[in-house]
Amino acid sequence: MLGLARLVLFGLIGLTLLFWLVRIYARSLKREALEEDWEETATEGRAELPRDAFVEKGLRAYEKSLLRKLIWLVYILPITLIALVVYLMNYT
Amino acid sequence: MRYLKWGFWLVLVGVVGVFLSYDLPRHDIVRVVGTEVRRVDFGENSLFWAAPDVGTASATSRDVRFINTVRPSGKALVFRNEDTGWGWPPYFKLDSSDLQAQAESLISTKAEPIWVSVTRYGWRSRWLTIYPNAVGMKVVPGPDARIIPWANIIILTLLALVVLTIRAMWRQFRERSIDPLLEDAEDAWDDAGEGARNWFDRLFGRK
Repeated sequence: MLGLARLVLFGLIGLTLLFWLVRIYARSLKREALEEDWEETATEGRAELPRDAFVEKGLRAYEKSLLRKLIWLVYILPITLIALVVYLMNYT
Repeated sequence: MRYLKWGFWLVLVGVVGVFLSYDLPRHDIVRVVGTEVRRVDFGENSLFWAAPDVGTASATSRDVRFINTVRPSGKALVFRNEDTGWGWPPYFKLDSSDLQAQAESLISTKAEPIWVSVTRYGWRSRWLTIYPNAVGMKVVPGPDARIIPWANIIILTLLALVVLTIRAMWRQFRERSIDPLLEDAEDAWDDAGEGARNWFDRLFGRK
């Protein structure tokens, strides 16, 4: 059982690291997209908000979005995969 | 510098290649001719043997299950049959005893062969006395049955996706976090350079 405990401990540490990296990455992509959106509207002369306010508003909306919640899959998918492999290897 | 860079990538690719060659599942179509349990004292080759069965104590010597088989060509192929447990490689194999029983039930003679596809990882080396570890077996219709390596297809695809994702993340990080810093530093450097030049100019009375 010690081996399983070790796997769970180091696995969770690794997944937590990955989770934060993906989260930061996704947020960075979103920020970049928002900045580009703003540039586009600004060049057409119909930007309603100043740049920073537009980006902040977009990011607040993003924080509530389904897409951001999907990052939890970083935990769910590998754990499901391990459970599946254990089942396939030992019980079929 | 350029050789160093190429050397680094070459070593990395080599190490990853060796790991994949050892750890990925492969299939051998064989006829089981017997099974045995024998005591093995691990020495220099201990790296290539799995950990003791789940729940048993560790030692430098223990009984290991073996499956003796013969390939369609008549060449012998011996597998070990050990739990990988929760360690590396991540097969999570806990059922060595059951596999051994299955192997025993599939023992066949040359006259009436039962061909089985053994899934295994690892290498056979006579110099190191190491054996591939059998992780599963399945009866196949004949010695030239076609086996599609689904597990390898899935694992290598996932691996490629992970590598591409890491690359994309690194590029995003560099573009958004490091490059602006470098540009700032460059500006500051230019300013500093200008300042220093002005100071020199003033010192030596040139303008």
